[in-house]
Amino acid sequence: MDTLKHFIDTISAPTISFTLATILFPFIFPPGDWFEKIHRKFGFWRIWTKPGLYVTLGAITLFFIMGYYDKNFNITLTKPDNFPIILLVYSVFIYTWMSMYKAYENDERMSRGEKPTEYNDPDDKVLVWPDLVYVEFIALIIFMVFLIVWSVLVGAPLEEPANPASTPNPSKAPWYFLGLQEMLVYFDPWLAGVVFPGLIIVGLMAIPYMSTTPDNFSGFYSFKERRLGIFLFQYGFMVLWIFLIFIGTFFRGPNWNFFGPFEYWDPHKLVPLTNVNLSEYFWVKWLGTGLPSNILLRESFGFLTVILYLVVVPILLAKYLLSGFLNRVGAVKFSFFIFFGLCMLSLPLKMYLRWMFNLKYIIAIPEYFFNI
Amino acid sequence: MFNKQDERYWNINLLNKWFAITSVLFILSMVWMFIDDNDDDFKVYQKTFRKMEVETAKVKLEDAVSEVKEEQKLYLDKLKKAESNFEAKKEKIQQINEQITELKAQHYKANMDYLHKKAEIDALKYLVEKEKSHIHEVPNEKDSKNESKYDSYLIELQELKLTMETVASQQKNIEKELESMEAEVKQAEDELNEVMRDVNLVENKLSRLDRKRMSFSNRIGDIIRDFPIIDFMDPYYKVKQIVVPDVKYDVNFASVSTVDRCTSCHLGIDNPDFVDAEQPYRTHPNLDLYLTAASDHPLEQFGCTGCHAGRSRGTTFNSAVHMPNSIDSKHDWENEFGWEKMHHWLKPMLPLKYSEASCFKCHMEKPDINGGEKLQLGLTIIDKAGCNGCHQIESYPKRFNTGPDLTRINEKVSRKWAKKWIHSPQSFRFNTWMPHFFGQENNSSPEMIKRSTTEINAIVEFLFNGKNESDNSSDRKYLGNAENGEQLFNNVGCLGCHNIQEEFIELADLDYDLDKLPYEYSVSEHGYESEKTDLLELTKQQGPNLIGLGSKTSAKWVYNWIKDPQEYWTETRMPNLRLSNQEAKDITAYLLSFKNEDFEQEEFPDLDKVELENIARGWLVKAFPEERAERMLSEMDYSETIDYVADKSIRFYGCFSCHNIAGYEKTKPIGTDLTSEGTKPVDKLDFGHIHDIEHLNYSWFEQKLASPRIFDRHKIVETEDKLRMPNFYFKPEEIEAVVTAILSFNEDKVSEVKQASFYKEDHSVYAGYKILNQYNCKGCHIIDGFGGQIAELIGAPEYSPPNLNTEGEKVQPSWLFKFLKEPLLLRPNLQVRMPTFSMSDQEWNFVISAFQDLDENGLAFESDYHVNTRSDKYKAGEKLQELGVCSNCHFYGTTFPKQGAETWAPNLALSKERLRPEWIVKWLDDPQSVMPGTKMPAPYIPSKEELEMPDSRSVWGRELVSLKGDRKVMLEGLRDYNISISGKKDISKEIKAYFDKNGYEFGGEEEDEDWDDEDW
Repeated sequence: MDTLKHFIDTISAPTISFTLATILFPFIFPPGDWFEKIHRKFGFWRIWTKPGLYVTLGAITLFFIMGYYDKNFNITLTKPDNFPIILLVYSVFIYTWMSMYKAYENDERMSRGEKPTEYNDPDDKVLVWPDLVYVEFIALIIFMVFLIVWSVLVGAPLEEPANPASTPNPSKAPWYFLGLQEMLVYFDPWLAGVVFPGLIIVGLMAIPYMSTTPDNFSGFYSFKERRLGIFLFQYGFMVLWIFLIFIGTFFRGPNWNFFGPFEYWDPHKLVPLTNVNLSEYFWVKWLGTGLPSNILLRESFGFLTVILYLVVVPILLAKYLLSGFLNRVGAVKFSFFIFFGLCMLSLPLKMYLRWMFNLKYIIAIPEYFFNI
Repeated sequence: MFNKQDERYWNINLLNKWFAITSVLFILSMVWMFIDDNDDDFKVYQKTFRKMEVETAKVKLEDAVSEVKEEQKLYLDKLKKAESNFEAKKEKIQQINEQITELKAQHYKANMDYLHKKAEIDALKYLVEKEKSHIHEVPNEKDSKNESKYDSYLIELQELKLTMETVASQQKNIEKELESMEAEVKQAEDELNEVMRDVNLVENKLSRLDRKRMSFSNRIGDIIRDFPIIDFMDPYYKVKQIVVPDVKYDVNFASVSTVDRCTSCHLGIDNPDFVDAEQPYRTHPNLDLYLTAASDHPLEQFGCTGCHAGRSRGTTFNSAVHMPNSIDSKHDWENEFGWEKMHHWLKPMLPLKYSEASCFKCHMEKPDINGGEKLQLGLTIIDKAGCNGCHQIESYPKRFNTGPDLTRINEKVSRKWAKKWIHSPQSFRFNTWMPHFFGQENNSSPEMIKRSTTEINAIVEFLFNGKNESDNSSDRKYLGNAENGEQLFNNVGCLGCHNIQEEFIELADLDYDLDKLPYEYSVSEHGYESEKTDLLELTKQQGPNLIGLGSKTSAKWVYNWIKDPQEYWTETRMPNLRLSNQEAKDITAYLLSFKNEDFEQEEFPDLDKVELENIARGWLVKAFPEERAERMLSEMDYSETIDYVADKSIRFYGCFSCHNIAGYEKTKPIGTDLTSEGTKPVDKLDFGHIHDIEHLNYSWFEQKLASPRIFDRHKIVETEDKLRMPNFYFKPEEIEAVVTAILSFNEDKVSEVKQASFYKEDHSVYAGYKILNQYNCKGCHIIDGFGGQIAELIGAPEYSPPNLNTEGEKVQPSWLFKFLKEPLLLRPNLQVRMPTFSMSDQEWNFVISAFQDLDENGLAFESDYHVNTRSDKYKAGEKLQELGVCSNCHFYGTTFPKQGAETWAPNLALSKERLRPEWIVKWLDDPQSVMPGTKMPAPYIPSKEELEMPDSRSVWGRELVSLKGDRKVMLEGLRDYNISISGKKDISKEIKAYFDKNGYEFGGEEEDEDWDDEDW
């Protein structure tokens, strides 16, 4: 059991778990034919079947049970604040499974030339009362019962009066912001706290406009028709958001250090933080000189890199790799798509740069609070 | 057409079932919520307590009833008789009652008529007045009409009034008649009620408590008032709270008044009936001092958490953050209440053993208060051990150097002795207050021992600074008779502050349960005193335990020191006992007769040059770049290196915190500031790798004091950064006391009006109290009911320093000042001497204010008291002193008392300038009440009857008889005579001459036995 716990602790390290998640992801939500092949071959598709549901739920539950009986994990797991995250894990998985299950069912039907399960005769209507309202009402009552029972069983997790001179360690944002807080590890606050959240909202709003499927092709679940869309969304949501919340809740301990789920949260744990800016790499390490005093000159390499990433890369993509896509959707849709995509991709990229090269900022102008 | 059942999307019956099930679940969850909401712990406690109250009330009722049983019967009979009398006049009464009814009706009607008329007249009056004021504008004939109507109405009103009043007086008369008939019954009832008052009180209370004694409707009401939702109005079971605006709780952004809800469960806390009840109902153990309205700390003004801390708004065992007193009670609580420390509350309750820490926040200026003994012990230890030398404590700053002056150490001891002493003080004197810096757990490795011995060598070389050591060559010149010396040492007053105690015992032989201590304890290998430490014990240890002096210092030094301590060390607290040369020699001989052979034979390694350089290099590298450090080191010669290492070591260990070392007078203290240590967040305390203690601030303090270097265990620390707090080898009760004191240094806010000092006009008295403690006045004298341990050693209180009770109202401040500056022989048969303290005039003024404050007498100057020697009063006094033979014991100037030296008493020629006239009367009236245990008998004052006897004049004299037995005037007469006694005031020479001739061969315990039988 200890070996297993140790194994889980080891693979939970963000470097490993994030890489694993990123690598496995396209095989679970295959965005292309090749991935689809592997997806079928190695049976990842079974996750989206009923046995898959039971097995996965069982595995998650087993993990939590194991945690409950572990003296270290028990502390974080049974905190009243963290209860919603446990619910989150279940609900996100169940709803994702449900949609994928239905999508696969529809895909199969459509491949046989049948209509999707959601298809209804346009004349065939149901009444708001009782067919809709009654069900909603019952759901409402069930939810009320759940809330009441929850509030009776678990007291509100109130703490001492806030003291600016003595902040809790770790200082954690509310659970729904923990993804953002995790981003703050890798990005400057104006990016992780202002620009990215804004882009997430705008990007979510833009998704329907970037859809390439015909307008009448809606109202039912399908995976085959929207492979790339679902893959991109699920990667952004599950890995870059939910996964980060989960890490922030259970794996981030004192001093925001990383701890495996079964590790003791030792406040004395120290991790060397020797992060270096790109300009320092460029001037000091590669050119062997000091940093130029002119800020723009100093950061010129960083600016160049950012421009390369945001301007040259899309052009190259448009010319070679994604030329077909460009032709299909047109220049406007394409450039928005690429911009959002690259922004999203910048998070894992920056994470890897940090882990592999201790890179702090690509552009670092702390004089004007401008860091990328 | 879709409305038909089978057209629906869902099966409605199924939905109905779901709806039914979920609704039931919903209702159940609501019920559960209500139960959970109303199922507070305190309600359970209050229900139990109500039963207990009913039981005690019943017992009380029985007691009260049985107590008045006889009387009750008596008065009941009386009442019955009165009632039967009343009954006899039944017919008459009925008649009267009828009359009253009729008259009442008549009066009602007459009164109505009168009032109506009056209302009309008032309206008319307004019209008339208005018309009159406008008459010059519009002359009108109607004027007269209104006016005449008004006049006629007035006459009618008068008549109506008369009728009304007649009826009223008739009614009154007849009612009076009835009343007089009822009077007897009423009186009997009143009398009965008076007897039954206590019973009625208890009965009343019981009728409110005990549902069985309620009427049916009240019983229903009593049940309904506690129903959910309805209970917002006036429930019986409710949160009880006390708001204390003067005690603040700091919520970081604001200070809020404390709201104490403790009494919601601690229901009998201020009720003396529940002394033996189980918790939480038990009565507070000290109601005289706390909670009751008559005490100094009423519950409404001080609350609970002001002293006990904890979460004042909590209404469950855990949410109030109770803290266990010991490991045992912790386990009990865990089993019984599922106790766990509420992590998020920063100020948990003080465990009972540390409650006294709270006294300090209001009694900061004078912490030696009744009930605060542990706190006072802790503070005294802090002074004695010199904690506040290294650690700054704003509310309890260092007042004096606790260790001796080291500027002339070469005259006192040898280098070798000093080294061995610094290395291990306890091996020379097992109970010294000099702590152990070396041989501790973080410096006992071979490398560290090497380093330590080198440091010690360097420090000692530095302190001696190349000066010559003292030697024993001239000792014979200073050595007298040791036997005589012992006699003197034991009698002259040295024992007030010093003792000579050679025996020690192992800690294991003391009565401690070391396994039960919640911390790891480092035991001294040099043994402990057999006594537990308390305040009185500490007054014996004001000065060092004088063992082994023969192995420490020379006769010359001891002789000079006891002759005049200030000469060697100007700031010493050791007073001058005005010893003669011979006395000093004798005492020197006695003190030097104590030797410590083991210590003498110990060797100490010589200075290791290589290690010395290593240490110097270590310090240099810490401060300078490596290259520069090396250069500096190479530029130092040998003695400079020694000085450098010594300086670094002295600064590292903080030697100057307790000792005066030239050049370090202004150096900053080396320890952590403890000013608000009591409220320091736990996470600011470094627990290191010690996980066996609780994660609480006081657990950390306990552990730190028990084993100061323990938090370095398993840590990799540079030598220069190691923990260095020395080990005092405190005993567990000392640790507890010091932790109490540390917890009292905190940031808790109490408003000014709650400070004890707010009620003192003159704050200089506090300085006086501090001086009384600093110079250990209580070692010899009983002051404010405490002290005087020397009496026990001398054997008889009458040969010991006097009890200073009522000193403030006893002596004239000007005389006291003179006496304290230059003590003169006051109590002729005392061998023990009041020493001369070298204190400034201001300090003596503080001391005098403190004495005066104790007796609430604040006058520094008073008018002279004049005696009229021709008055009867004075002459009566003369007669009384003659009859009381004051001259048997008291000196009258140089006139010796008639009795022997054992009963000698102060010179009465001093009375005029020494004593305050009011006090003398009080003293003469009852000496025992002023000075318990005094040998002064109360003078015989004849009673009025005795003075009225036929032969009184011949027995008592004319003047006494003329005072008519007024005791006060007679005492005043005696006082007046006393004051007018003249003679030589300083009779020390005469007395010395007497004792030189006769010796002090009296007194002691043996003779004490027949002392009381002496015929006065």
